[in-house]
Amino acid sequence: MAERIGIGRARVEPFGDAALLVVLGERVDPAVNDRVHRLAFGLDVRAARLPGLGATVPAYASVLVPFDPSVLAEAAVRGVIADVLRADVGAGAAKQPAAAPEPATTADIRPVTHVPVRYGGADGPDLAEVAVRTGLSEDDVVRLHAGAEYRVFCVGFVPGFPYLGMLPEELALPRRSTPRLHVPAGSVAIAGRQTGIYPSDTPGGWHVIGRTDLSVWDPNRDPPALLEPGARVRFVPA
Amino acid sequence: MLQVIEPGPLLTIQDAGRPGLGRLGVPRSGACDAWGLGVANLLVGAAPGSAALEITFGGCVLEALEATAVGLGGADLGAERDDGRRLAPWSAHRIPAGARIRFAGAVRGMRAYVALAGGIAIGTWMGSASTFAVGRLGFEDGRPLGPGDRLVARRPGDLDAVGGTWPSRLAPHPAERTGPLGIVSGPDLDAAPDDALAGLASATWRVSTSSDRMGLRLDGPSLGPGREIVSHPLVPGAVQLPADGRPIVMLMDGPTIGGYPVLGVVPTVDLPRLGQLRPGDEIGFRAETPEAARGRLRAQQAAFDRGAAALRADAVWVRLAAGACG
Repeated sequence: MAERIGIGRARVEPFGDAALLVVLGERVDPAVNDRVHRLAFGLDVRAARLPGLGATVPAYASVLVPFDPSVLAEAAVRGVIADVLRADVGAGAAKQPAAAPEPATTADIRPVTHVPVRYGGADGPDLAEVAVRTGLSEDDVVRLHAGAEYRVFCVGFVPGFPYLGMLPEELALPRRSTPRLHVPAGSVAIAGRQTGIYPSDTPGGWHVIGRTDLSVWDPNRDPPALLEPGARVRFVPA
Repeated sequence: MLQVIEPGPLLTIQDAGRPGLGRLGVPRSGACDAWGLGVANLLVGAAPGSAALEITFGGCVLEALEATAVGLGGADLGAERDDGRRLAPWSAHRIPAGARIRFAGAVRGMRAYVALAGGIAIGTWMGSASTFAVGRLGFEDGRPLGPGDRLVARRPGDLDAVGGTWPSRLAPHPAERTGPLGIVSGPDLDAAPDDALAGLASATWRVSTSSDRMGLRLDGPSLGPGREIVSHPLVPGAVQLPADGRPIVMLMDGPTIGGYPVLGVVPTVDLPRLGQLRPGDEIGFRAETPEAARGRLRAQQAAFDRGAAALRADAVWVRLAAGACG
């Protein structure tokens, strides 16, 4: 079923009758995610002038390419994907040697968004437990969380929720065994090598270690999402 | 103008939705049954994707504050006037000032649509009038409609907008089709137990009561646990296999990204059927190629276009006849 198109290790899979899924890797990896956003951007530029090609949805290591099958044949969409992948591989090779330890990213030109966080207490009910389970002091947990720079791998699940990584390895924990039924908007939480900010009051299974007053999602603001895919983020203890 | 007296379990405004915003985590939303929405709108001279009321299951009561033309599409929820007279489904009706429409309960299907002449007059949020509560999108921060809310037609004076009855024989609702739903093989079969897709296609599934506009949970045999995958995008119709082995079919308000294996995707042509499934309904799946599903979609669109043309021809005839008599 999968078709190898040979360039850049991409796998193009049918995703129903009106979309293709381009899989660029099988793990959470900043280098793979860079390619995801370059592919998504290249396809969105094409979509603006190709009737029937929809706006892409980038995730960690894959890109959804929706299309209107009554306007555009699947083969034509595959052709456009192959074109963009080819152009992308060329641009990537020119910019960054394969051996470069810190590949230049499309995100690097963007300013860093600083997110003020009140850690612990009622705002971060899981901070103490995270400290115990990681064998760190609460101060160390805060220092590590606020010490790293994160990228928005993707935005999803609910509107505006930024999947941020990579969380320092020392803080990596599996999700809570029992999800909370109510996590208030603005809660800053961690799970695995990820951290995120809840945009609205929802249930949630991540460990809540703090809270920000920044509005992550406001449909009456332009743009509604504080953080878009590819953006850079730092947390600042408030 | 209509006023909500009782909303029933869930009453929202929906249109053709807001595609193209998945990168911000915004689902497509829009009517769960795009066919039913289109029929309701065409009956009152509105474009098929215009904003209309989506009524869930029944228990909804609406009052006409002035003489109002309404188009009914989607499920047959037993619509009747307050004097008990039945209001035929898939038809336009003129409701006199002060009269009420009561949706007594589901006769067939799950979601009915009530359209007003020219469409409901309402703004858009990120390109659509559709209500999506989690994103605070739609009417009043995305809240469902409640008692006292009022809905105004774009062309309130147009009581003869189109009228008539949808030609159901010529263009039957997709939910009239029985037999299994199509399913296009998904990208994550490696992360699912062997034969999970075959298992999905061979079992009979019952729609769980914990189903909503986000997704349908299916009760049936466990297909075995899905392994967590690197989260990837989802679409309406995607069938996820979570750790408990019981599949979930995404609907219009479903999450844009998910971390459970996708066994397959129910194609566009069968989405209106999905949108009309009730808790307790039994369904099955049959593997289908994307090309075959597109062929069925073309036939479905052609049938809808035939129905729309017949409706227009009827309306012209009715107007000519009215002119000749008057």
